[in-house]
Amino acid sequence: MSENIQFSPWLDSSQKPYIQIQNVTKRFGEFTAIDNLTLDIYKNEFFSLLGPSGCGKTTLLRMLAGFEKITHGKILLDGEDISEIPPHLRPINMMFQSYALFPHMTVEKNIAFGLKQDNLPSNEIDQRVEEMLELVELTDFANRKPNQLSGGQSQRVALARSLAKRPKLLLLDEPLGALDKRLREQTQFELMDIQEKLEVTFVIVTHDQEEAMTVSSRIGVMDSGNLVQVATPAEIYEAPINKDVADFIGDVNILKGIYKGQNKVGTQLFSEDSNSIVYATQDVGASVEDEMWFAIRPEKLEISKVAPSDDHNILKGTIEDIAYGGSFSTYHVKLDNGRILKAIRANRERTKEHHLTWDDEVYLQWAPHSAVVLLS
Amino acid sequence: MQTNPNFFKSIFNGRNAVIAIPYIWLLLLFLLPFIYVLKISFAETIYARPPYSPLLIWGDSWLPSIKASFDNYLFLFSDSLYIKAYLSSLKIAFISTILTLIIGYSIAYSVARAPTRWRGILLMLVILPFWTSFLIRVYAWIGILKTEGLLNLALMSIGIIEKPLMIMNTDLAVYIGIIYSYLPFMILPLYANLEKMDMSLLEAAADLGCRPFKSFWTVTVPLSIPGIMAGCFLVFIPVMGEFVIPDLLGGSETLMIGKVLWTEFFYNRDWPVASAVAILLLAILIVPIMLYQRSQEKAIS
Repeated sequence: MSENIQFSPWLDSSQKPYIQIQNVTKRFGEFTAIDNLTLDIYKNEFFSLLGPSGCGKTTLLRMLAGFEKITHGKILLDGEDISEIPPHLRPINMMFQSYALFPHMTVEKNIAFGLKQDNLPSNEIDQRVEEMLELVELTDFANRKPNQLSGGQSQRVALARSLAKRPKLLLLDEPLGALDKRLREQTQFELMDIQEKLEVTFVIVTHDQEEAMTVSSRIGVMDSGNLVQVATPAEIYEAPINKDVADFIGDVNILKGIYKGQNKVGTQLFSEDSNSIVYATQDVGASVEDEMWFAIRPEKLEISKVAPSDDHNILKGTIEDIAYGGSFSTYHVKLDNGRILKAIRANRERTKEHHLTWDDEVYLQWAPHSAVVLLS
Repeated sequence: MQTNPNFFKSIFNGRNAVIAIPYIWLLLLFLLPFIYVLKISFAETIYARPPYSPLLIWGDSWLPSIKASFDNYLFLFSDSLYIKAYLSSLKIAFISTILTLIIGYSIAYSVARAPTRWRGILLMLVILPFWTSFLIRVYAWIGILKTEGLLNLALMSIGIIEKPLMIMNTDLAVYIGIIYSYLPFMILPLYANLEKMDMSLLEAAADLGCRPFKSFWTVTVPLSIPGIMAGCFLVFIPVMGEFVIPDLLGGSETLMIGKVLWTEFFYNRDWPVASAVAILLLAILIVPIMLYQRSQEKAIS
C-alpha cells in the first residue's frame, strides 16, 4: 500500500503522460458538449471523471473509445494520435453502463468475443477466458446466458469481457450504477485490486462522488463541458477550487465573508452569520472589502452545549434536526439569522450522557485551518 | 366443499367473457367451417345441390349410418398433377420467402437505422400499398410486365433491350408479384425487431475489435432471428395457398395448389376433391405453423 501512497506521476515532470487530451471540443449541432478540454492521464492511473449529468463526462469517455468524433483537437494514446482511428482498431476497451452483454451468447462466449476478433488460436482463447472467469469468480457460470445472471454477475462478466483483450486502457461508464450499495462498495475494492494486479490504466465515469473518492488516483471534476478541477480525492475534498466543487463533493457549509486583511492568525474575514471576524490560515490574494466565501465540512465543526474557552470562529444556534447515522450523527443547527448549518459528530460513546437533542442551544466552532477560503 | 350457489355467476364473469371472445370467434369462423370442409372431403360427388353425398344417412335404425371414403385423398396421390402442384407450391413459396427475406431485411434494416423523424414516414410508405385493393395491385403488374407494358417500353426506349422481355405469364412474373405483395408482411416484424435492438451491443462489438460488417452477422442477425422467423412464416404460409397471383401473372405451366383448388371447385364442381386438396394443404402447413408458434413462444420467454 505504501507504493500506492507515493503513486503520483503527475507531480513528476520526467513522466510522460499516457493519454493526452489536447484542446478537445465536441459539438452536437449548436450544443457544445466538451469545450476546449485539455487533460493528461498517466499510466496505471485510476482516473475518475466526475460531474452532474450532462456535464460532458460520458461524451469525453466515448471520444476516448472512438464512438464520438472529435470536432476540434486531438487525443494521443502513448504518444500516438488516435483521433481518427475507428473504435474497432483502438487498443482500448470499454465497460458499458448497460453492460451490453450479447444476450444470444453464453458468459464464456461473451468473454471470448473480443479474443476471437484477433484470430487468436482457440487454446489460447480458452485459457484467457478461463483466467478471466477466475479473476471475476464466475467459473461456474461459464455456460449461463446473460438473462440468467444477477446484476452483480452481469457486471463482472462485462468487466471480464472488457479486460480479456488486455487493453492498454480500460474505460468504465458508470460501472457500478446498477448495483445496490453494499455490492457497489465491495465491487469498488475489487476493481481497485484488479486494476493494480493487471496494471491497466482505468478511466471511469461516475456521478457518484463517494465512488470517485474511494477508487481514484485522481478525479477530474467536470461541469458544462469543462474540467473545473483535477486533483487527488483528498485535495478535491479538502481544497476545492470553488463553491461548486466544494458543494458537489461531500457535504459542506458555505458561508459568506468580507475580506478584512491578514494578521498573525491568518486571513481575517467578517462573517455576517456570526456578526464577527472569523479566521482562516489560508493566504488569499485579495483586497479589503472583497466578497468571498469560506467552506467548512460538517465533520470539522465542533458542536457543544458548553461555550468554548476561546472566542473566535464561533457560531451560535439551536438544534433543528438530528439525523442519526449509527457511527455518527448529523446535526442541523439553525443560526439566529435562520441559516441552517450541518455538523457531524462521531457517536463514540454508547451512553446517552452529554446527549444533544432537539432545541438545544449549541456552539459551533472550527479551527482556523479547517475552513477553506473560496474566491468564487 | 359446498356447492357454490353462484356457480353460473362465477363462470359468466367479465374476465371469462373477455377470454371467450377469441374462442367463440375461432369456433364460429375457423373450427366449424373446417369441420364442414373435412366432412365434404370424405363425400362423393353427386349431381345435386349441394354437389356431394351426405356423410350421415338416416335409415331405419335410430342411429345413422356413416358413409365416408378416403377415395378423394387416394385420388390426389394417384394423379401426379396434385403432387406436382404441392411440390411446385412449396418450391415457389420457399424461393419467394428467401427472396422476400433478403429484400425485406435490407429495407427493414435501413428504416430501423434511419433518423427517428424519418422512420414513421418510411414505415408509412411500406404500409401505403395496403390502401389499394390487393387485386388491383396485382392487375397493375400486368400493365407493367406485359409485352407492350411499361417495363418493356421503358427499357426499349432507353435502348437497353431491342425486343420486349417475355416476363408476363411466366414463373418470374409470379415471383415478382408474390415478392411485391408480401414484402410488407416481411418488413413489419423485422422492423419491429431491429428497431428495438440495443445499439450499445454494436458499440460493444466494435469496442472488442469487431468490424462493422462482421458485427452485423455476429450480433444483429442472430438477435433478429425472432423477426426473421415471424416474417418468413407470414410470407411462406399464405404464399403456399396463393391463387390470385399465379392465376393473373403466371402462365399455363405455373402450377400452384391454390390454382388447382380453384379449378376443382369452380370448373370441375368437384367439391369433395377440392376439400381434400384444402385439407391436405392445411396438413402440409401445420408443420411450419407449429414451428412459427414455437419460435414465437421462444421469443416471448
